[in-house]
Amino acid sequence: MPFEAPADGVLLPPYRVLDLTGPEGVFCGKLLADYGADVIKVEPPSGDPTRQKPPFIGDQPGPERSIDFLFYNTNKKSVTLDLESPQGQDLFKKLAASADVLVESFPVGYMKSLGLDFDSLRPGNPGLVMASITPFGQTGPWKDYQSSDLISLAASGFMQITGDPDGPPMRQGNEQSHFPGAQHAASAIMAALFYRDMQDGTGQYIDVSMQEAMITFYTDAHPTLAWMQRGENVTRVGATSTLVIPLGVYPSSDGWISAGIITPREWEALSQWMYEVTGNEEILNDDYKGGNQDRAPYNDLITAMVIDFTTRFTSEELFHQGQERNLVIIPVNSVSDLLSDPQLEASNFWFDLDHAEAGTLKYPLGVFDSEEVSPMTEPAPHLGQDNQAIFGGELGLSDSELSALRSQGTI
Amino acid sequence: MADAKKPLSGIRILELGPYVALPMTGRILASMGAEVIKIETNQVLDEMNFIPAWSRGGGQPEFQRAKKRITIDVRTPGGLEVFKELVKVSDVFMTNFRRNILDRWGIDFPELRRLRQDIILMWQTGLGGIGPYYTYKSYGILVQHMGGVSMMSGEEGEPPATINSSYSDYHTGVFQPVAIMGALMRRRLTGQPATMESSIFKSGAITAGPAILDYQSNGRMPQRIGNRDPNAAPHGVYKCQGFDRWCAIAVRTSEHWAAFCRAIGSPDWCNEDSFSSLENRLANQERLDQLVEEWTAGLTAEDAMSKLQEVGVPASLVSQGQDLYESAHLKAREFYRPTPFYLADRGKPAWEWEGGDGIAAASPPKLSESPMEFGHYSNIGEDNDYVFKEILGMSDTEIQLLTENQSLY
Repeated sequence: MPFEAPADGVLLPPYRVLDLTGPEGVFCGKLLADYGADVIKVEPPSGDPTRQKPPFIGDQPGPERSIDFLFYNTNKKSVTLDLESPQGQDLFKKLAASADVLVESFPVGYMKSLGLDFDSLRPGNPGLVMASITPFGQTGPWKDYQSSDLISLAASGFMQITGDPDGPPMRQGNEQSHFPGAQHAASAIMAALFYRDMQDGTGQYIDVSMQEAMITFYTDAHPTLAWMQRGENVTRVGATSTLVIPLGVYPSSDGWISAGIITPREWEALSQWMYEVTGNEEILNDDYKGGNQDRAPYNDLITAMVIDFTTRFTSEELFHQGQERNLVIIPVNSVSDLLSDPQLEASNFWFDLDHAEAGTLKYPLGVFDSEEVSPMTEPAPHLGQDNQAIFGGELGLSDSELSALRSQGTI
Repeated sequence: MADAKKPLSGIRILELGPYVALPMTGRILASMGAEVIKIETNQVLDEMNFIPAWSRGGGQPEFQRAKKRITIDVRTPGGLEVFKELVKVSDVFMTNFRRNILDRWGIDFPELRRLRQDIILMWQTGLGGIGPYYTYKSYGILVQHMGGVSMMSGEEGEPPATINSSYSDYHTGVFQPVAIMGALMRRRLTGQPATMESSIFKSGAITAGPAILDYQSNGRMPQRIGNRDPNAAPHGVYKCQGFDRWCAIAVRTSEHWAAFCRAIGSPDWCNEDSFSSLENRLANQERLDQLVEEWTAGLTAEDAMSKLQEVGVPASLVSQGQDLYESAHLKAREFYRPTPFYLADRGKPAWEWEGGDGIAAASPPKLSESPMEFGHYSNIGEDNDYVFKEILGMSDTEIQLLTENQSLY
């Protein structure tokens, strides 16, 4: 494919990306599509299984109404193709011959079983960049293990440090594992395209393990360094940290806030403020002054005093008044708080996308804000909406060939 | 250097800023072959040099390796001048300081653009560089709770569950390389540079996307449901032999359920009506979880995992540091690598810090033709000579003078 300039106001060149991913990798294609790549979602004729996943728009099931599908497939096109039939494989090879990128998240070996692995596709397209996003990667003794969001969180150790020390390891509620591998893959795909188009390189294959990607998303906890140097396993600390004191999530009068004292000056400011509000002189005790580690022996006592203070204010009061005192106190937002947040509103975060069945909704698209480039604003595609344009228009199949493929169930 | 070309060979990136997200972005781009020049000063050390407290400096190879590390105190007139000389010969400048701080130091984006017309600017903050909170101070480990995800994590009726890490920082850190490489390509193709602004707040909030749409469409606020899942049962972590050892199990299909029952020895309760379908298992989860835990309690987490994986049921031990360190799987993939580090000490300049032996994770993507480099780990200021002499052509006397007056310290 030619290395083509992006349109005005668009970040990425219109790279053609074939997206075969399930939940494990679907965010990768979304990120590239949101910033201007030409991403085609290749779905089985019955549709991506995510189209059946609740919740649905208006709680009414339907293949165009799954909320996960609508979020994860913005700015993509859709074609249908039965990759398990010889005709479907043939057609897919034609698509792959002129694509820049193929991204998939099937079990290891599945693409090879279809004759659609990198080694099979490369001769037809030496510039092809192919990325696989799988739970444990393409090699190693765990490569064929079954996974899920929960299993990825567990295998990476992400859960080991999430939750209360007296309770079980805890899952994050946003299906967190869908992001790290997909983000690393998007970044590696960009590097591979850079290598190909800016350095006269070739295409290549990229293997992304979700387990490894998830491990890098809590690097600052340093689990292996802790074992190597101290023979200790990092673990859960609950709502309040044992590393930085005080730091944690505390109740306010109307919800939750997170606050942390990183520097000695911040402690001076907080303890003074707490004294002004509560009249409790104990907080000014000299024993508590100094760096955040110096308060370690008094963690429980200090936490109790912090809660006595925070529960006297709303989250918003603590947020803004804290800043006046150079203190970082952050509201723990719910999704409704996000939708009304003035900062997000001011920084081109939300984009109204209009979808025939979902109506107009505010989508969080603005990862970056820029005067020069903006995200694309097409909603998720209807099943097979681009079959005619891609198979007919681009690959040049005639109407009769297309209807034959339709009646065979290939598309 | 006659090295083979890397994806970002020939690209020079200036990085100014501490903590997690921005250094991670620089580290990824450095592993892709960019010359990332990290500007630091012995006067004000990145607090990450002292986290974890038990291994001061041991955590830094994860964030700083593969970079050229130099010391410039941009708050000094001499340091600011050298910084501006570097801007003139760089493709990208990225920083995570707020506008009021940059203003105080005399770093002004329009001026940088005049010094180097096509420079790409990546400006990352915690809460946002523009908008009502633009002057607000923040820390990533706190801002992560602003993105909406904490309120949907944890047990029903309990406070939000928190992770003892700063995960939103990594979303930002891994988004930014995509933006920067895109902007470099766009500059090549159109001649146009770009200024891009990102925040940890926005990066985290993106990951609440489905819940945000659900709320708008159905008025539904996400609930904390612990480790349960509306579409799978049993689904959770179950106590195993040993202290704080757990096995996660996710039975998502009827095939998984049948295989699960076989793997645990087909006890009678598996055939009860109360567990015969997903709906019934969801309705009777409390008892189901107890029964599952009776099985796992007699096994090590590894054994429970293997027995289930052997029959195709999604399961994993909840990995601890030791498991990751000793993992045959991660070893086969050469994920963790040895690295030197330098023992951070507030009382001494970095060049007097003692060395130590540590460990760091490789970059997750494995690229077949242009692999991510693990890279050399420089100490703070180790690359001063290379950058000041070879890149900027400064003389020994000049460097000595500016070092003595602490501009390059």
